[in-house]
Amino acid sequence: MNVIESTGLGKRYRRKWALRDCTLAIPGGHIVALVGPNGAGKTTLLTMAVGLTRPTLGSVTVLGGEPAGSPAALDRIAFVAQDAPLYRNLPVADMLHLARNLNMRWDQRRAQDRLEQLEIPLSQKVGELSGGQKAQLALTIALARRPALLVLDEPLASLDPVAREDFMASVVEAARHDAISVVLSSHVLAELERVASYLIVLTRGQVQVAGTVSELLAAHGAGLEEIALRHLRGLSSLSRTDGAA
Amino acid sequence: MISTTAPVQPPATAKRRPVSWRRLAWVTLRQRRGAVIGISVVLGVFAVYLLIMGIIQNNAYAAIAACHPAAATKCHELAQSFGKYWGGGAGPVLAGGGAQTVSSLLFALPVLLGAFAGAPLLAREFESGTFRFAWTQGAGRTRWAVSTLVLPAVLLTAVTGAFTALFYWYFRPFLAIGQVSEMLPLAFALLGLAFAAWTLFAFAFAAFSGTLFRRTVPAMAVTIVVYIVLAIATALAIRPHYLTPVTEQGWNGGPSAGWVLSSWVKAPNGQVIGSGDIGNVLVHAPASVANSPDPNAFNNWLIQHGYTLWQSVQPASRFWQFQLIEADWLLVVSVSLLAGAVWLVRRRGA
Repeated sequence: MNVIESTGLGKRYRRKWALRDCTLAIPGGHIVALVGPNGAGKTTLLTMAVGLTRPTLGSVTVLGGEPAGSPAALDRIAFVAQDAPLYRNLPVADMLHLARNLNMRWDQRRAQDRLEQLEIPLSQKVGELSGGQKAQLALTIALARRPALLVLDEPLASLDPVAREDFMASVVEAARHDAISVVLSSHVLAELERVASYLIVLTRGQVQVAGTVSELLAAHGAGLEEIALRHLRGLSSLSRTDGAA
Repeated sequence: MISTTAPVQPPATAKRRPVSWRRLAWVTLRQRRGAVIGISVVLGVFAVYLLIMGIIQNNAYAAIAACHPAAATKCHELAQSFGKYWGGGAGPVLAGGGAQTVSSLLFALPVLLGAFAGAPLLAREFESGTFRFAWTQGAGRTRWAVSTLVLPAVLLTAVTGAFTALFYWYFRPFLAIGQVSEMLPLAFALLGLAFAAWTLFAFAFAAFSGTLFRRTVPAMAVTIVVYIVLAIATALAIRPHYLTPVTEQGWNGGPSAGWVLSSWVKAPNGQVIGSGDIGNVLVHAPASVANSPDPNAFNNWLIQHGYTLWQSVQPASRFWQFQLIEADWLLVVSVSLLAGAVWLVRRRGA
């Protein structure tokens, strides 16, 4: 089953196409790295997959055919937008309670245990947390929803190196522990290459390459970084590899 | 259902239970705690003032009503001294300001409360980016938006409705002594259903423009401008036409008559002379009449010379009919604006 599947997906903002003719089939069970320079259309693709934005053209379904943004899809996808937007004026405990009341499924113990581990006090205001703590709180809320798919848009962009390390470790641990699929976007592949098992390279609104990391390595005989770099530079003489699940 | 087994579960075929309204209401109330406290404080301060002055004024009025015989000098003095509660000089809190000042202050309250409560509801979510959080939760954005908009709307309408009841009790003596008619623009919008209905309108308009502009401050500014224009247009041009005015002979004005829209004179030859042209008749009157300090001297002279006096009135007996008409259309507009805001939320992307 594919966690995200799109056909001829396109999004235009005024005159500019943010994403064009995007046909993808991301199989489940992976940590997916969505890589591309700023403005490549990563956020556009992800916000359409989670139902925040409507496509101009084409369609996108999630979790084996659910329309993006449908109640069934919202219930089982947890999305953390760039900069992890949360209500800054609320204490952490109230932020948890709020998220709990916005979802049918919620694992309060899991959330509290994680925050205790991370030493994030429940009485602290969200706005007073450090960038790393805030990202971890957003991840905690996302995981407490017990999603089938976790979507993180540029989760590392605003974090310092130590917080990045910790955050990625949390994501990998959660993906294994909960057996969930994860899609992360970044403009820096180096952050994701050690953990990703599926790679999508996006430039100028178009998918350049998509496939499992092992297939890509086998097919191209080059390092992941080099494969991505060649596609990012648009120098690719490589054939495009579609995600064969 | 908790996913622990397969990487991805097949889609559940069972019908999904939506997040209950009760839980959404908790979310809305928790997020609006600041606004609830702010509005409670503002209305509370006004309420305490109205309560204190209401007791004083109602007691003073009761003394006037109980005074016998009504023509006695002491009764006359009582009635005269009551005037200070209207014009000012009697208030222990708002020194110098009487009911007239308080009423004009309260005029601004619906739009301020509505803009303060309504504009940030959606606009703040856009400004801080938190709509990306709120709209991707299991409840879905439509339910979230309905709860976010409807619960504060209902609360605000209920609270301002209760506030009107207190204001009416405070204001009652002035209506009873005929200081002012409840039909006049100054009083009408503060009494009955109008005060709460106008607050609801301001709230709905602010919430809608906040959703449209995605900015709190511009939404507030536009709300205040539109509100002022509409409130003035309603009082001057729309409200007088709710029902056909009654044409009466005689200029028995005064607050008990209701709202006098216009008055004119009919000459013996049947010619109609508007109140603006009445000066043309006045030149024919003898100096003793034209310069008389008695305002009725000229009217009496007109009647003696075969003129008839006419006026067009919305009588005070139509007060509740007018209140219902005004509340009705404001409610329709407000509900449409709130529905429009939900529609924008459903339609708009990130």
